[in-house]
Amino acid sequence: MKEETCSHTWEMVNVQSGYIVTENCFRCNKTATSFSAGEWPPMEEYREGEHFWNIMEVAQTIRFDLTCKACGKLVPLNELAGLMMCTGCDPKCPVDTLMKEMEKSRIWVFVAFGFFPVDERTQLSQEKIAILEEYFNQRRKSSSSTIRIVSSEKIDDISRCFAEMIRDVGMLSLTPPATE
Amino acid sequence: MKLKEIIEKLSLVTLTNVEDKEVSGVFISDMLSDVMSSAETGNIWLTVQTHKNVVSAANLIDIAAVIVTNGKEVPEGTVELANRFHVNILSSPLSSFQLASKLVEAGLK
Repeated sequence: MKEETCSHTWEMVNVQSGYIVTENCFRCNKTATSFSAGEWPPMEEYREGEHFWNIMEVAQTIRFDLTCKACGKLVPLNELAGLMMCTGCDPKCPVDTLMKEMEKSRIWVFVAFGFFPVDERTQLSQEKIAILEEYFNQRRKSSSSTIRIVSSEKIDDISRCFAEMIRDVGMLSLTPPATE
Repeated sequence: MKLKEIIEKLSLVTLTNVEDKEVSGVFISDMLSDVMSSAETGNIWLTVQTHKNVVSAANLIDIAAVIVTNGKEVPEGTVELANRFHVNILSSPLSSFQLASKLVEAGLK
């Protein structure tokens, strides 16, 4: 089927387990996030040009792409750091307002995050966010509710947001390192 | 099979308001990323995780119910959030393995 005329049935492909790493530079106080696909999470501080990066948090997560089963279109989602459900912590936030409006119709609002710093990393395009939303709604086909995914750029003040991204925080402490 | 039938058969403790749903199967994992990638809508999810993000992951996939095993206590904040977003949270004193066996006996695969 031709990609242009296809109505797309998405599936998750290229699922890769890894870690989402949050680092802070103690010199300029910049925060950066990245995906690490290694077997072990990075743990040590290091210098990169003018930055002295220190690990603030490491959580297990997955990275994935989407492909259409019918036409084969591939949508790489390398820019996606994670998804977060809006829990309505800031009444001034446009995402909170949207969530309260949609909640009545059983539409749950999720926020798609790219990597930090936002101004230095390519962020998810609206087109990719729409495809991601379509994928999760297709997966929920037997459901009586739907989801809406919006960009993290819609959050009024990220420092006032108390919701958390869907990722596996604290799991690393449950697994002792392998012994030789 | 309907969720309320399973609750009754297995004497599960209801921690939230229960919205009856059709159950399509069972998914066992303590990792939210596993749920995001592999669970199916209508699955019952067995886990020992109790933090608020369980509600987000369950809602993303529309899990029929989260069953917290090993009798782990679920924080009030998680229960409140689950009630608000219509996520069913149940509890069992059994381990995930023991409960999975009982779910199979009850007819789920």
